[in-house]
Amino acid sequence: MQREIERDAGCAMRDAALPFPTRIARVLRRIIGAPDYAAYLEHCRVAGHTPKLSEEAYVAEFFEAKGKGVRCC
Amino acid sequence: MNRLLSLLVWGGISALGAAAFGVLALSRGETVNAAWLLTAAVCSYAVGYRFYSRFLAARVFGLDDRRATPAERHNNGRDFVPTNKWVLYGHHFAAIAGAGPLVGPVLAAQFGFLPGTLWLVIGVVLGGAVQDFTILFCSLRRDGKSLGQMAKEEVNPAAGATAMLAVLFIMIILLAVLALIVVNALKASPWGLFTLGCTVPIALLMGWWMKRWRPGKVGEASAAGAVLLLGALVAGGWVAGQPHLAPLFTHSATTLTWMMVAYGFIASVLPVWMLLCPRDYLSTFLKITTILVLAFAILVILPPLKMPALTPFATLGEGPVFAGKLFPFAFITIACGAISGFHSLVASGTTPKMIARESDARLIGYGGMLMESFVGVMAMIAACTLDPGVYFAMNTTPAALAQASQALGQAGFVVTPETMQALAARMGEATLVARSGGAPSLAVGMAQIFASATGALGGGGRTLDALWYHFAIMFEALFILTTIDTGTRVGRFMLQEIVGHVWPRFGETSWYPSVIASSACIVAGWGYFLYQGVVDPLGGINSLWPLFGISNQLLAAVALCVGTTILIKMGRQRFAWVTLAPLAWLVTVTMTAGWQKVFSADPRLGFLAHAASLAGSTSRDAARLIFNDHLNTFVALLFMVVVAVLIVTSVREWWLVLSKRKLAAVHETPYVETGYATGD
Repeated sequence: MQREIERDAGCAMRDAALPFPTRIARVLRRIIGAPDYAAYLEHCRVAGHTPKLSEEAYVAEFFEAKGKGVRCC
Repeated sequence: MNRLLSLLVWGGISALGAAAFGVLALSRGETVNAAWLLTAAVCSYAVGYRFYSRFLAARVFGLDDRRATPAERHNNGRDFVPTNKWVLYGHHFAAIAGAGPLVGPVLAAQFGFLPGTLWLVIGVVLGGAVQDFTILFCSLRRDGKSLGQMAKEEVNPAAGATAMLAVLFIMIILLAVLALIVVNALKASPWGLFTLGCTVPIALLMGWWMKRWRPGKVGEASAAGAVLLLGALVAGGWVAGQPHLAPLFTHSATTLTWMMVAYGFIASVLPVWMLLCPRDYLSTFLKITTILVLAFAILVILPPLKMPALTPFATLGEGPVFAGKLFPFAFITIACGAISGFHSLVASGTTPKMIARESDARLIGYGGMLMESFVGVMAMIAACTLDPGVYFAMNTTPAALAQASQALGQAGFVVTPETMQALAARMGEATLVARSGGAPSLAVGMAQIFASATGALGGGGRTLDALWYHFAIMFEALFILTTIDTGTRVGRFMLQEIVGHVWPRFGETSWYPSVIASSACIVAGWGYFLYQGVVDPLGGINSLWPLFGISNQLLAAVALCVGTTILIKMGRQRFAWVTLAPLAWLVTVTMTAGWQKVFSADPRLGFLAHAASLAGSTSRDAARLIFNDHLNTFVALLFMVVVAVLIVTSVREWWLVLSKRKLAAVHETPYVETGYATGD
């Protein structure tokens, strides 16, 4: 059980502390592959480094990377 | 006690699945309810997932949750992000599910509902899901490397180059086929063309919203886009009824072809945020919603299947939809939904970079593919609920229909012109005859299911037929256009990379002359095949869909070769059969289909026989048709040679490793203990 809790703390289950609508929005964003700047800032805070990208730069880079992905037939 | 309960539950599920298969296989002449088809499929998926995927995860791959995944080791909050497995399951499914699992089963319904369903269910459990799971596992252990990189490192550089070429070929044929489906669905359809045309300005507006006005606010922009889209759908019906507006949106297949080519080129050179991203979000929302609604509607009404289990065309090989017998063409026609090589690109793309723990790969890789197969089964149900006479009238050219009229009459598949006119009027179309490509017949099937479900739930019922039909057409066309956007762009990147080896400047993906030239080359490639499919009497789905199936299965063969090589190098050769068995089947099917498409003496089937039949023709189109036959022959032979090269190089590698002439060195990233796990 301890292992499960600590493992989940490293991924999406960390969102459990967020309000329900925010959690739903975050889940939907991840499913459709949409940018989530708040999650990026949260990652930087947990990792202990200052964010390198502004929101505009983050969104631009995210969309550019999406254009290189493959969509199946 | 738990063990006994588990035994009882799984024994019950297995018995129910077997009983459902028994009903499907033994019913002859009487109507079968779609519930049996759904039961057989769902029980097989459950048993396959519970037992076979567990065996793969534990015994074959040895998934280890103590091992840190690339998402954990390289977590950067952007592309490497540890993600909840259910969220990633949805993300992966949205990336792998497109038009393929919807269209293939509709076309294969010409053999009856049984062959396609069996292939969808058995193929996915033993082949397609295994391929996706294997490649996901391999990429997961290699920092999310692509299929081409793994082929180069684990097999040899020749296999890597083969994989890259295979992807480029499949991309060109795939885009031509998908564009052809859209063209056939929109020709002479002002409602459809108006609605789809509106998606371009809607996507541009969404792009501006997400990039400039409210950066990153995808949800808001998508909600606005969805409302506008539904408005365009309703407005399309009004436009089609206006005598002065309808002609502006009524075009022939040839005109639509040029529109598609222009669209593909523009979409490829425009910035990603402007058209590609917003359209992708819109189509993803629509895709997931529609598939869920279709599943619900089928469960509500449980429609009877009007198509028989087997039609005479399974053995005659003279089907009016496409030529060729059940073997090998049912297995080429249904690729996505059973086994699709294209999935190996997604499974070695974004997904492995987001997996939080190794055991999640089972649900995402194996389970995701099972869900795609279920979509294929729903498409099969939608097609088989149509009256067979209507199905064949819609999916056949008038000439092919006349040729097959005797066989159709003997099988009892008759339809009157009045029936087709009444159906077209109900769907808001001028005609539904000879609307091949699968999309229109799927749309009619879906419209009838939706209308019955809304009727059963107290809604509008059949009064909404036309709206549902055009909704289904828009749903299919929208994500086909998304695939055309992304496919042309990915093809462009590949061409830039290939030419960049000899001319480095060309390889710069942001250098505009290179962007324009490479986009033009890719668009010209698929545009030519599309044009050929539109203007040639025996072209179109008859010749292009088998080429697409062969090329897709070729890519699956590449993936399974890579998977087998890695298993052998890992010392798991006793389990190599899990990938070798589907590989052997695919090679048999691909080679047989390729051989028949080239060398069959039947002009409807063999390219060379068709060219020979035109040799003495005085028609001014004869020279062009002969050229197209020779081009298709070249493409089919090229695919076969590529498969042969790949198999030979892989078998050589296996032999060297197994005979200990070569060190079995796998290129896995070194083991790192996960930081999340502290217990046990």
